[in-house]
Amino acid sequence: MDLALLPPGVQLSCAVLARFMPMHLLLDASGRVLGAGPTLARMLQGLPLEGARFEELFEVRSPGGAVTAEEVLARAGHRFRLVARNGVRAGLRGLGERLPDGRMLMNFSFGIDLITAVRDLGLSDGDFVATDLAMELLYLAEANAAVTRELRALNLRLEGARLAAEEEALTDPLTGLRNRRAADLVLERLCATGTPFAMLHMDLDYFKSVNDTLGHAAGDFVLEQVGRILREELRAEDCAARIGGDEFLVLLSSRIDLQILQGIADRIIHRITQPMPYGEDRAQVSASIGIIRSLDAGSRDPAQLMALADRALYAAKDAGRARAVLLVAKVP
Amino acid sequence: MDALMLRFLQGYVRDTFGAALWHAICQRGGLSIETFEPMLRYPPGLADATAGHAAAVLGRPVESIWEDMGTYLVTSSGHEGVRRLLRFGGVGFADFLHSLEELPGRARLAMPDLDMPEIHLTECAADRFVLECRSPLGGTLRVLTGMLTAMADDYGTLCLIDPVGEDRISIRILDQDHAVARRFDLALPET
Repeated sequence: MDLALLPPGVQLSCAVLARFMPMHLLLDASGRVLGAGPTLARMLQGLPLEGARFEELFEVRSPGGAVTAEEVLARAGHRFRLVARNGVRAGLRGLGERLPDGRMLMNFSFGIDLITAVRDLGLSDGDFVATDLAMELLYLAEANAAVTRELRALNLRLEGARLAAEEEALTDPLTGLRNRRAADLVLERLCATGTPFAMLHMDLDYFKSVNDTLGHAAGDFVLEQVGRILREELRAEDCAARIGGDEFLVLLSSRIDLQILQGIADRIIHRITQPMPYGEDRAQVSASIGIIRSLDAGSRDPAQLMALADRALYAAKDAGRARAVLLVAKVP
Repeated sequence: MDALMLRFLQGYVRDTFGAALWHAICQRGGLSIETFEPMLRYPPGLADATAGHAAAVLGRPVESIWEDMGTYLVTSSGHEGVRRLLRFGGVGFADFLHSLEELPGRARLAMPDLDMPEIHLTECAADRFVLECRSPLGGTLRVLTGMLTAMADDYGTLCLIDPVGEDRISIRILDQDHAVARRFDLALPET
């Protein structure tokens, strides 16, 4: 079985060759297979090896134009690339040399296709020599994937925390409504995009007296109830904000029909005017609402619209409170 | 390392004893957060301090908490990656023990700024080993002990694993092929 002879005076048996190079291929002078290492043989499963011609086993990817083993060795500088003809996806990288007696010796590795090869062929530790860095590469690929996965998860968690912080920064903690900053942002956006919209500027009546007679906790309770009423009477796409102590702003872009707006405002006032049981006591407030529409105002300036909404609110207060006044007026 | 240990401790306590106990441990430690991120940095010593609080809340010695956490890391389905990375160390348990010396180098390939413990293995006889481990973290030796015990199981090897003093673990292999090793494929199936 002593086949390979390497001068001067170094003789390797096939078994030793197979141990040191489990992916070698030994060809006779005409390019027919004399022997193959165990891992290479495993990769070439399904193809008859003994006596097969090199070109029956492999398709040469580089050097271009080479087909036979002789051509590969003649044209390739120090490396060539092959794929097996049995449909194994992993390619091979190799080097080869013609021995003094005319036989050809080639040795292969999977190169960057290692993971695919290990997976598809079910290779194990024993299919690689101890000096091969295959295990390190497999290890690194998995460690890397684990680190990347962890980083991606961290990014998602940080993004979630950022969104929560942003949400918190735009929310009025007492009522759960938006706050002044959020209302300003929405108003600015509506003005900039040119969507027609309506503003309901609301102020509570007799709120101060609740605070004075029943205490601040009762005042907070009233504000919470108002927040709940607004949430229930409005849609998710509307923006309801508490923009001051007992001052609220509602921005509606989906419903701007005059009668509908009046109806929404009246319903809100009606509900707020109902006495709110607070312990043994009852908190009694009402609300005044000034309504304007961007279309009537003929302006896209947030400050001007806000001033106009303020005027509408004062008109409502002047009209005797617990009222909604719709102001169809242009910004002066 | 503190970040990794804290994350693992959090996972171990939550999975084993429930979120309420982890909350109690963090409260006792006066921690402002309860979720540790393995990729962030925390003050050195926080992992050992937190394990101390865990010991007080759970009413168990801190050593056994670290050891159980080490076992949990290798055996829990949520950390299959840890077990796999360790199994790359060798075909048999003895091979694996020798590969531990390379562990810091391997870990640095993936995370260059991870300060892994220094590990040195002495083979006293074919079935007797002493593993020395130096780490600024007090819990490291016990975590390693727990992991080794679980890995011996994974390889189907019966052995005695005992911490000796502050920085050594004595390992005696009684039966290399005591049970069938858990299956290990070099490459994970394509996802």
